[in-house]
Parts: sequence; C-alpha cells; structure tokens
Amino acid sequence: MIGSTAIQRGRTAAYVPALMEVAGVTKRYGEQRALTDVSFGVNAGEVLGLIGPNGAGKTTLLEAIAGLLPVDDGRILWRGTPPALLHRRDFMFYLPDGLRPWDDEYVARLLEFFAAAYGRPARIATEAIGALGLAPVLRQRIGALSKGYGRRLMLALALIAPQPLLLMDEPFDGFDLRQTREVMGVVREVARNGRTLVLAIHQLIDAERVCDRFVLLADGRIRGIGTLADLRAQTGMPAGGLEDVFLALT
Amino acid sequence: MRSPDAVVVYRAPLRPLLAKELRDIVSGRALWTMLLILCPLVGYGFFQAVALYGEASSAAREAPVLAAGLSPLDGVLVPTFGALYLVVTLLFPFVAIRSLGREKETGALRLLVQLPYRVPTLIAAKMTAIFGAWLAALVPAVSAVVIWAALGGHLYVPETANLAFGHLLYGLLVGAIALFAASISESSATAAIIALAFTIGSWVLDFALAGQPGVLEWVARLSLTQTLRTFEQGLLSIGLLLGIVAAICGFAALSAVWLHPGVPLRTKFVRSIACVAAAAMVLASATRIRTSVDLTEDRRNSFPAADQRALAELREPLLIMVHLAAEDPRYVDLRRNVLTKLERVVPRLTIRLATTGQSVVGSGSDEGYGEIDYSYAGRADKSRSTSPREILPLLYALAGRPVPPPGASEEYPGYPLIADARPALLWFFGGLPLLIVLAWRWLRRAPQIAQPIKDGDQP
Repeated sequence: MIGSTAIQRGRTAAYVPALMEVAGVTKRYGEQRALTDVSFGVNAGEVLGLIGPNGAGKTTLLEAIAGLLPVDDGRILWRGTPPALLHRRDFMFYLPDGLRPWDDEYVARLLEFFAAAYGRPARIATEAIGALGLAPVLRQRIGALSKGYGRRLMLALALIAPQPLLLMDEPFDGFDLRQTREVMGVVREVARNGRTLVLAIHQLIDAERVCDRFVLLADGRIRGIGTLADLRAQTGMPAGGLEDVFLALT
Repeated sequence: MRSPDAVVVYRAPLRPLLAKELRDIVSGRALWTMLLILCPLVGYGFFQAVALYGEASSAAREAPVLAAGLSPLDGVLVPTFGALYLVVTLLFPFVAIRSLGREKETGALRLLVQLPYRVPTLIAAKMTAIFGAWLAALVPAVSAVVIWAALGGHLYVPETANLAFGHLLYGLLVGAIALFAASISESSATAAIIALAFTIGSWVLDFALAGQPGVLEWVARLSLTQTLRTFEQGLLSIGLLLGIVAAICGFAALSAVWLHPGVPLRTKFVRSIACVAAAAMVLASATRIRTSVDLTEDRRNSFPAADQRALAELREPLLIMVHLAAEDPRYVDLRRNVLTKLERVVPRLTIRLATTGQSVVGSGSDEGYGEIDYSYAGRADKSRSTSPREILPLLYALAGRPVPPPGASEEYPGYPLIADARPALLWFFGGLPLLIVLAWRWLRRAPQIAQPIKDGDQP
C-alpha cells in the first residue's frame, strides 16, 4: 500500500517512487480546512478512485494536484521529483466536473482544436469520437448538447490529451446505467493502453466496478487507502462491499 | 531534467489557438451588437460633418481666403472617427472581456491553461483576437472615408493613416484594460464595471481636470482620452507612442500574471508590482522623449520650413517664463500657436508658468500678468503677444540671427467641398447593417466536418 506512512518512511536503495505522489497536501479556505495533510501515491497504469461524499474534498484535491488551485502546504511529486506548477500539465490532464466550456463553439471544432493544439493525428480524435459516440452531434454547438453528450465531449477531450495521467472529476455523473457501463469500458480501455487514471467518484457502486485501488476521503482527510481487499482486511469485513467498508472507515 | 513521461510539445501550433480566439469573439453577440450600433453613429457623424463642412465651404466660395482654414482632417475625419472613439470607450470593453470572461465563468479557463501554450502566448492570442474585433469596428469609419473620397473630398494619406493609427492604439489600450479586468474578475459583469471605471473614469478626469494647473494637469494627462488628442492634431509623437505601447504591454502582462488560477495570490501581487514598476519606468522615459512628426498637410504643428530650420539651430538653452494662468485663453493660444511648436523644434527649451496657482480672476493687481519672458544666451526680452509673427522675430533677435526669408508656395490651399452626404445614410442605416447581419449568420454556420472525423462512428 502506498500511503502517507510509506511516503514518510524515506528513500531506501530499493525505493521505486510511485508515478505520482501527493505528499502532505493541506488546503484551507479561511478557517475551514478543505484538505488536511493528504498523502498517497498513484501507480503507473492503475485506475485509482478518490471516494468520498459530497464536500469530502475530492474536487479540491484534484485541482490542487493539477496545479489549478494553490495549496497551503504539501507537494506533488512526479516520479519522486516535484515539477514546477506550470509544468504539471506536461504530465497530467485534469477534467473538471460539470464543465460546459466554449458553449458557442461547435463540437467538431473543439475536438479539432484540442487535437491540433496537442499535435495529435486525426486518428486519435476519430477514435475518441467513435469510442464515445459523438458523431451525431459534431455539427452541434456545445451549448446545445444534452447533459450526456456534454459529458461525452469532455471525456473525448481527455482521451485526445496525450498526458500519461488523467485526473477526472465525477466522470460517470450524468449518464444512465447503460451509458455508464459504456463509459466505464472506455475508461478501462484507456488504462489497458498504459495511461493512469485518478477518478473522483461519489457513487460507490460505480467506483467498485471501475477502480483498482481506492483513496477514501471524508472531511478533507484520508480515511483509508488500498484495494478493496486491503480495505476489507483493514475493517475486518471480509465480505463487505466498498459501501460497507467506506461506512466503517468514516 | 524532463521526465520521459512528459508530453513534449515544444512548439504547440499557434494557428489553432488564434482561430479559436477569433471564433470566440466572433461567435458572441457583443461584437455584432457593437457593430450594429456603430453603423448609424458613424453614419450620422459623417453626414453632419460633411453638411457642416459644406456650409463652411460655401462661405469660402464667397471669401476665398477662408478656404485655407478648411481641412478635411478637422472637418470630416476627426468627427467621423469620433463615433468610433465613443463606441470603443463604452462598448468595446464588453467585446474584449468576452475573450476571457466567458472562459472564466464556464470553467473553460481550467482547460485552456492545461493546453501546451505558455500563458503569455494565450494572452497574445487574445490580444490578437481583440485586434481583429477592432478591425471589424473600423469598417464603418473606413467606409465613411471611402464615401468622402467618392464625393470628391480630399484625403491626405499620412494624416488620415496617423488618425487611424491613433484609434488603433486607443482600441488596443482599451482592449488590454478590459482583458486585465477580466483576468482579475470572476464574472464578466464585474470585469465590465472595472473596465468602464477605467475608460469612463478617465473621461471624467479629462473633463474635470483639463486646463488645471500643476499636479491636476499632470493627473489629467493620465486620461485615456489624451492618447487620441495628439493623433487628432496630426502629430505622431514618439514619446506618446512609446507610452501607449508600454501601457498596452503593461496591462497585457498583468493579465498574464493574473490568468492562471493555480498561482498563489502573493506571487501574483509580487509579479504585478514588478510589471507596474517596469511599465512606469518606460512611461517615465517616454515622457522625456519630445520627438514628434507633423503629419498634417497644412503643417499646423510646425512653423514654416525656414523657421523650423532656423529654430533648430538654437543650441543654447531657451527659457520662456509665462506670466499667465493655465486656464487663461491667452495661454491656450500661446501654447497652441507657439509653445507646442517650439517644443518640437528647439533642442533645449524650458517653459515655466510663473503664475502657478494664480487664476485669471484677481490677477489684475499683478502688473506683470500677461507678460512672457524670453531668455536666450544671456539676453532677455519680454512680450505680451501670443502670435508667432511677433515672437519668432523676438527670438531671432535674442539669438542674433536674421529673420529667415519665407519659403515659396508654403500656403495651405484648403479643400472646400460642398457635397450632399444624404445618400450615404442609406448605406450606414441600411446596407452596412444588413451586410453585418449577413456576415454574422455566415460566420455562425455549422462547420464542414473533415472526413476522418465524420467517420468517427465507423468501425
């Protein structure tokens, strides 16, 4: 398990740093602590779920990792080295929740813009469109998209972005059951192709289906880290689901 | 050292970013609404200017000497471009704010700053889009100039281009201020209030403090309106040009400082102070540059060529002490007819107002009030005249130089024209707005989808 204690143990000769480490991140809004000494690691190629109820600090944590929110304390390490704030985008791409950007823009043009900005071949955009079923709405304005298509478009942007680590805030929000399963398939495929994903999810059932490991957050503090088996062992609930484990730890 | 996992996009292409920024501005209603409002304003301003110019021209027909006073720059171009100034002051901030404000409101900025563009590149692209919007706003004024030429009106290209250039700098300055306002505000509404506080505030500053002596005069010079005045007089002042460019770059740099949401507030403040200090230093240097070029056909900002040459050779310090209140009409005359021209040509000139703080009312008890003292090379003289015809010989006498003979055929002939601009109203109230609406619809059309992308759903 990679957690705060592991990070604090120090470097040994055999130490292999995680792909990314969050070390002692603390964020305050005035007197209120949104995150308190949050530390964990992310391994290459895994799907890590940030699990917690609304207000647990998941979005704050993702924005802090992506360098879009200044923190009061703590560091982000990429393979053991802290990248400069403005260089984090070289390693990770963060997809915020509930985003409907450039609403006057056409879907096709936004996808083309992203692909062109990253110098990605047309094939990548085509694959993203195909994987997320965006072809019927390519000539629609983003502002006119349904919630589901809006979410798919944002996911397509994340698929076009070439960074090895994807941070996604509530990627399954706004989808019905069938769509959620389709998108989960896409996410798993992305991970199989070698990219690493950190997903903030408040629906525990969704998280259990798609994530390899979990970071349980409540009130801005980490309450548990590990695979479902680790968490079951930690709580002494060998047959418990993620929901049971989460309730036991929080 | 860069990690092998890093996405290396050393040269992210600029073209897609510029195209996106232009589409952002063009797709909003703000630009098109501004253009539709601008058309009748420019049109009516132009019509009125041509009508008044025609009336003055008919008087010149009866008294040909009056023709020399008829310059299209003052009579037609400045009033026509005045509508552009009004709209750029009051409406252009809304257009410029859109280039960033919507992205902040919708959260798109959080995606934008993750793209492989440096923050200054993002700001430069937005300024380019703002420049594009200003070019669109120039269309009605340019069409008025074309109509003026078609009516037989005279155009002197250097002074016309200089006027347009002044409006360009003013537009970019307003755009940079609006961009800065958007970068420090969470909503477009707040940004609009901040931007208008700058533009309208400096307008008020100009009205309230212009002509006031001392510090108030210096404060009034900070007004944005002042930036245009010199260009409207047909002058291309290098110092002013440098000052405006410094202000534009300063506001753009401040926008870059405040753009990224992940940079701590303290860092932003420290960087802002550095930006303001750098811009202030350039501005301070700019105020020392007195070089300017008179681009008017009638050379209104210069003495006759022979005098210009003779005055340029006055190498000793020339001190002029003016015993007049700053708001005294005689001082205004003196400044316009003599002092500003001397400032442009005499290398070592010092002008002092001896009556700082003194007003016109109550100055009657001072017997010296109204006198202007001239000191050059240890010799001194005084005069009450505000006319160059009396002052220049006085200066030549102080310098021990002969009065230069007047050059041949230097008289500005003037360009009287009686024309009927009423048909042009059809263009400004009907044709041009219709074209703008059609352009709006054309630019908002759905894009053609490239075949590989269109086939995205194919297996």
